[in-house]
Amino acid sequence: MKRLFLLVSLFTVLGINNIQAQETKNEQTTVCFKTNMTCHNCELTLTNYLKFEKGVKDLKFDLQSNTIKVVYKSGKNSPENLAKGIKKQGYEADVIPEKEYNHLIQESSKK
Amino acid sequence: MKRVILLLLVFLPFSVFPNPVKGRVFGIEDNLKIVLPGASVSWAGASAGTIADKDGAFTIELHQSVKLLVFSFVGYQSDTVKWNGEEKLEVVLQRNQELDEVTVVQKNKGTYISKMNPIGTQHINGAELQKAACCNLSESFTTNASVDVSYQDAITGAKQIKLLGLDGIYSQMQTENFPNLRGLATIYGLTYIPGPWLESIHVSKGAASVVNGYESITGQINASFKKPDAYEAFHFNLFGSAEGKTEVNSNVSLKLSDRTSTAFFIHGENFQNRIDHNHDGFLDEPLMKQIHLFNQWKYTSEKGFMLHAGVHYLGEQRIGGRVSFREGMARTASNPYGVEVKNDRFELYFKGGYDINPHHSVAFISNATYHDMLSFYGLNWYSGKEKTWYGNLIHTFSIDELGVHTLNSGASFILDQADEALNQAAITTDETVPGLFSEYTLKPGPKVTFMAGLRADFHRVMGTFFTPRLHLRVEPFEHLNFRVSAGKGYRTPRIMAENSFLLATSRSLSIVEDQILEEAWNYGASTIYDVQVAGRPLSLIAEYFRTDFSNQLVVDRETSASQILLAPLDGKSFANSYQLEVRYEVLPRLDITTAYRVNDVRQTIGGQLLRNPLTSKYKALFTLNYSDRLKKWMFDYTAHFNGGGRLPGNPSNSFGVHQEFPAFTVMNAQVTKYFRYWNVYLGVENLLDYVQDHPVIGADDPYGPKFDATQIWGPVMGRKFYAGIRITLNHK
Repeated sequence: MKRLFLLVSLFTVLGINNIQAQETKNEQTTVCFKTNMTCHNCELTLTNYLKFEKGVKDLKFDLQSNTIKVVYKSGKNSPENLAKGIKKQGYEADVIPEKEYNHLIQESSKK
Repeated sequence: MKRVILLLLVFLPFSVFPNPVKGRVFGIEDNLKIVLPGASVSWAGASAGTIADKDGAFTIELHQSVKLLVFSFVGYQSDTVKWNGEEKLEVVLQRNQELDEVTVVQKNKGTYISKMNPIGTQHINGAELQKAACCNLSESFTTNASVDVSYQDAITGAKQIKLLGLDGIYSQMQTENFPNLRGLATIYGLTYIPGPWLESIHVSKGAASVVNGYESITGQINASFKKPDAYEAFHFNLFGSAEGKTEVNSNVSLKLSDRTSTAFFIHGENFQNRIDHNHDGFLDEPLMKQIHLFNQWKYTSEKGFMLHAGVHYLGEQRIGGRVSFREGMARTASNPYGVEVKNDRFELYFKGGYDINPHHSVAFISNATYHDMLSFYGLNWYSGKEKTWYGNLIHTFSIDELGVHTLNSGASFILDQADEALNQAAITTDETVPGLFSEYTLKPGPKVTFMAGLRADFHRVMGTFFTPRLHLRVEPFEHLNFRVSAGKGYRTPRIMAENSFLLATSRSLSIVEDQILEEAWNYGASTIYDVQVAGRPLSLIAEYFRTDFSNQLVVDRETSASQILLAPLDGKSFANSYQLEVRYEVLPRLDITTAYRVNDVRQTIGGQLLRNPLTSKYKALFTLNYSDRLKKWMFDYTAHFNGGGRLPGNPSNSFGVHQEFPAFTVMNAQVTKYFRYWNVYLGVENLLDYVQDHPVIGADDPYGPKFDATQIWGPVMGRKFYAGIRITLNHK
């Protein structure tokens, strides 16, 4: 009886863990990059590249402040991997905090 | 989205070939010109570019081949400007409507109407062409409100387009901006242009520019092929339908040097299944084989010299008629009725352009074709060989630095020699038409464009005729464009070649006059209102066009019971076309188009002014296009509602003279899934499986007096499922 109880609780705990793991996997995370796009075409190249990266759900490009915002499923990709991809296309990719991103967007729209 | 309104000011040129290009970028805010620091400037297609400094000034190194500069700035509409060698460019960008949101994953609007062009022209680009199976040009208009596509007869699969409710022959068919697919190629010409090879299609309604000749009456359709120096390096398309039709299209482009590029294209299609869904003993769709090869070359020198040339070969075979008919059977009435058409066609074309200086440039366009056609329709034999040559020399004179006055003048030459044989009778065509033209364009500012053109052509048989054409575009207030046009057009119809499908009846053809000159005026007015509603674009379009024939070739199926008369017009013939179109992105990424058109087309047939037979009285279109946020999925749905119309009365026809055909609806749907380098699509044509009842009249007795497979007003092929794959690789 005790064993059974242990087994049940073990499975319950595992199950909960599992659910939690799945939740983090499906959670949408945002990462912002500062880059060096010079034209509309760079934007198109990067859009076409990033939209087919794993887990990517949404993209926001801003040419003026030279920033990219990527929304992705946290379990499927990482900021490092996304940055690697952008660099592979020949552009810079420095991860910046969302605060700084919002600040940059605001600043550039004032100009 | 990237619609462009621009004001291009050119400062005095200091030298002919300056290096690099300098200029300033401005924007309009509250009706004031402001500098745009940080605006990006790049050559079209190039990845590198530059950014304007704090005064909006920029300097960009020359590009070897590209002459188009792309300007963009957040909150402003991007603009593309042709650099003509000016020392300094001044570009003014227009404010975007949606200022706060910058979403770059925007949808590529498949169809748009250029704003500055004085001739209302619809640009249909690759994005739109992918919304349907789109195997050839005749299938490229399924999502278009202006162009109708219909079958000519129930046997050969020949299709024609109708513009403004009138037959396709009255709109000028062009490839790469020169007239093409005339004469023997008229009937099947639309199926000679594979959709996946196309970069874009331009459709303009009403009077066209005089530069391209006297022939366009209801409008112009121009198909542009993908270019060897474009971004795309490789494309492969495989298509298959549930009934067993397969098509392959592929193109590869090679950049041999910075200046020279070449591209190879191949198209193959095959359909060999004998299908007879309506059990009338006749094939629903002809058995078909086609191969089309195309090679093009492009060379651009840094001194403003451009060469573009290409060569095509096309071979095709169509077999239709009774299911039991086999190729090679003796042509007698004791064997099953059969139709076979074979076409072999070669084409060479050449385009050269040279910018002498910022004021003068010249272009020469030429093409030569050889077409060999062999066919029989039951017991009728029809064959032909045709040689054509076309040349057009155009001189563009930009009179002033500001681009306010432009003059396009030049000379053209048409040579058309054909020997056709219908049963035992020979038909010889020997046309030479030298011509002269001049066209003046006035652009006093971004709000007005005026264009007036005149040409004189000296036809060997028909004599001299003049073609005047006028166009005016005004933007009385923001977002509203109003256009009017008026112009004359002529045609010398190739009577047999353009009507060969009429051989699929038991009646004989009677050509009353061997050569006639068709002549018509076309008048039109259109209004386009583009506005943002809830942050998304809405377009409202209203159009009216009238075509008035003073002479026309009339196909009279109604006067004689035993003959179809092909006679010159005796009386009135006109077409009124009224069209309303609304396009809106109702929800983010959900685009709808609704359109309604009334065709009032009348012709004097046998002394009576009658509605044109086999022409729908109205047409309505509804299209839906949805894509997900990142455009990985795309869903398309199209519905055509066609009004009824008049069937040609026949004296021997017991139903009487005024029989009508009913209204009918055709629906298509397609789903496309995009991957990084490829996409797959699955779709259905004619979802409701609507087909015309008895497309072949008198099918039981094809050699008897009642046989007629040419009274076609609706679909002759039923529901068709298809699937395909497209693979695209781009140059680095």
